[in-house]
Amino acid sequence: MNKSFYTVKTFVKINTRRFFRDRLALFFSIGFPLIFLFVFGSLNSGNKDVSFNVALINQSNTSFAKDFVKNAENGKVLKVDKDVTTLDQAKDKMSRSELDAAIILPSDFGNVQSGAKYPTGQAKIVYTANNEQSGQALSSILDAQFKGINAQFVKNEAPFTVSSEQLNEKSLTPFDYTFAGLLGFAIIGMGIFGPVNVFPELKKMGILRRLSTTPLKVWQYFLSTMIGQAIIGLISLGIMFVVAILVFHLQVVGNYAELIIFLILGIITILGIGLALGGWAKNERQAAPLSNIIVFPMMFLSGTFFPRYLMPDWLQNISGFLPLTPIVDGIRLIATEGKHFIDILPQLGLIGVWMIVIYFIAFRVFRWE
Amino acid sequence: MVEVKNLKKRYGEKQAVDGISFEVKKGEIFGILGPNGAGKTTTLEMMETLRDIDDGQVKIDGIDVAKEPQKIKYLIGVQPQTPAFQDKTKLVEVVEMFAAAYGEKVDPMEFLRDVELEEKANNYVEDLSGGQKQRLSITTALVHGPKVFFLDEPTTGLDPQARRHLWDLIEKVRAKGISVIMTTHYMDEAEVLCDRIAVMDNGKIVAIDTPKNLIKQLLDRGFSKKQHVEQANLEDVFIDLTGKGLREGQ
Repeated sequence: MNKSFYTVKTFVKINTRRFFRDRLALFFSIGFPLIFLFVFGSLNSGNKDVSFNVALINQSNTSFAKDFVKNAENGKVLKVDKDVTTLDQAKDKMSRSELDAAIILPSDFGNVQSGAKYPTGQAKIVYTANNEQSGQALSSILDAQFKGINAQFVKNEAPFTVSSEQLNEKSLTPFDYTFAGLLGFAIIGMGIFGPVNVFPELKKMGILRRLSTTPLKVWQYFLSTMIGQAIIGLISLGIMFVVAILVFHLQVVGNYAELIIFLILGIITILGIGLALGGWAKNERQAAPLSNIIVFPMMFLSGTFFPRYLMPDWLQNISGFLPLTPIVDGIRLIATEGKHFIDILPQLGLIGVWMIVIYFIAFRVFRWE
Repeated sequence: MVEVKNLKKRYGEKQAVDGISFEVKKGEIFGILGPNGAGKTTTLEMMETLRDIDDGQVKIDGIDVAKEPQKIKYLIGVQPQTPAFQDKTKLVEVVEMFAAAYGEKVDPMEFLRDVELEEKANNYVEDLSGGQKQRLSITTALVHGPKVFFLDEPTTGLDPQARRHLWDLIEKVRAKGISVIMTTHYMDEAEVLCDRIAVMDNGKIVAIDTPKNLIKQLLDRGFSKKQHVEQANLEDVFIDLTGKGLREGQ
């Protein structure tokens, strides 16, 4: 047993060293997921305030209209495109969905009518059929703003009002979902594309065949690959966590020990798919198509690039059973929702079942040449 | 040390190895010769546990290869036709890994010194020349102290200097009491190196004896070469002009 352990330890040591000498491997397992993290992270952050892209066409000279424009431009709700000054320009941009709507202040907007004590006017919102929702939302927002302004001029009693209160409890942001998905993507990249590219190459060169003339057993070879991958994987995912926390303000509320154990489970489960594919394939031509058939559907269905809750129910039900789904969900539940192992038993159970199935297949189909 | 009895292997319609038998003694260099497709490599692979044996028996040091392949692996060292190693690995690490595959911890420098690669110890394997890779491969096949050493066409593609150097190495291996079983296409190599030779054709052994006896038998059958005997051949000229010393990068 001690000898077996020494065998595994030596293989882990030397293969891990090899990995850090290989710049290409380093880029694909650490750099590549980081690039995705920056791209998707930037897409999701800064999205917190609802805002509308609008053109504000002011045809009035009144001071009320000028103040209104100024407030709108400084406010958070509207993003005013200052290049657009005519309705035709606005229509052109709306037809390309670059603008959600145009707000027109007619020339009499804010005029004090003869005999009245306060200014009056009607703003007009123009939108295309494509942007019906934003147009209507914008109408009610402006309506509410005007009600506030009206109340300053005309005192009237409001029998029913609504008050709102923001809860301080943390809720999930889109980035929390994206980040867990990106970790899933990184795990797939290392665990599947790694062995699928490397094993056929080793077979072609006869390196695995040469090893098969030694007493080295398949489980020793697998175990050393698993340990090495877990080490490299934790480093890669660890860097992603650090970047997400520092740059994208990810808040990790869960227990780090549980998180690390769970990440190792996830890495090893997915690595099994790579070991099965790479171990079975005689050459690259066999390995590449089969791995693509398995990897890409799993990547999209398990919520790596967009959250699963956007899918129709029937698809969610199916994709919930894929091996990557409980991993992505579990990472999010532990890291950002602060759940413990006891709370995520369904995910752990599903991962356990997949691990047994995947490694059973991997051992059965492995070929040294 | 090695006993092969009535060994057979069939690939589809082709009887690749058709009932061959031979024995190899301790410390003997045994050559298997024959044209391509004669069944040499298949024979070696069955003895090395890499191929299932259809029929017949191979015993190494009294152990049946088909019944206890795992035990056999500790007794044999294997040099493949084209040695290859994972890149980005240092020579010391290659030796360490192969020893670890047998569960052994060795001093890699000692094994690199045996094949005169100690200066390259911390280089990556991809920096080695063909001859150096062959030597590294030989030393990795000996890390666990095997009793039988298999070489499949070890000198194919090497220049005369590297070839002669490899012959010396094989002689050294034999001097340790290890039985060497090798295949080759070079008759001069078989003549210089091998104690006994088996000539294979179409899966069968057509002759088995010492090189001297085989030549004598042919001459006894009345064979004579037309050309007159030269005192030297072109290889002697080449070696005389370029020396026996191994070249940089080999």
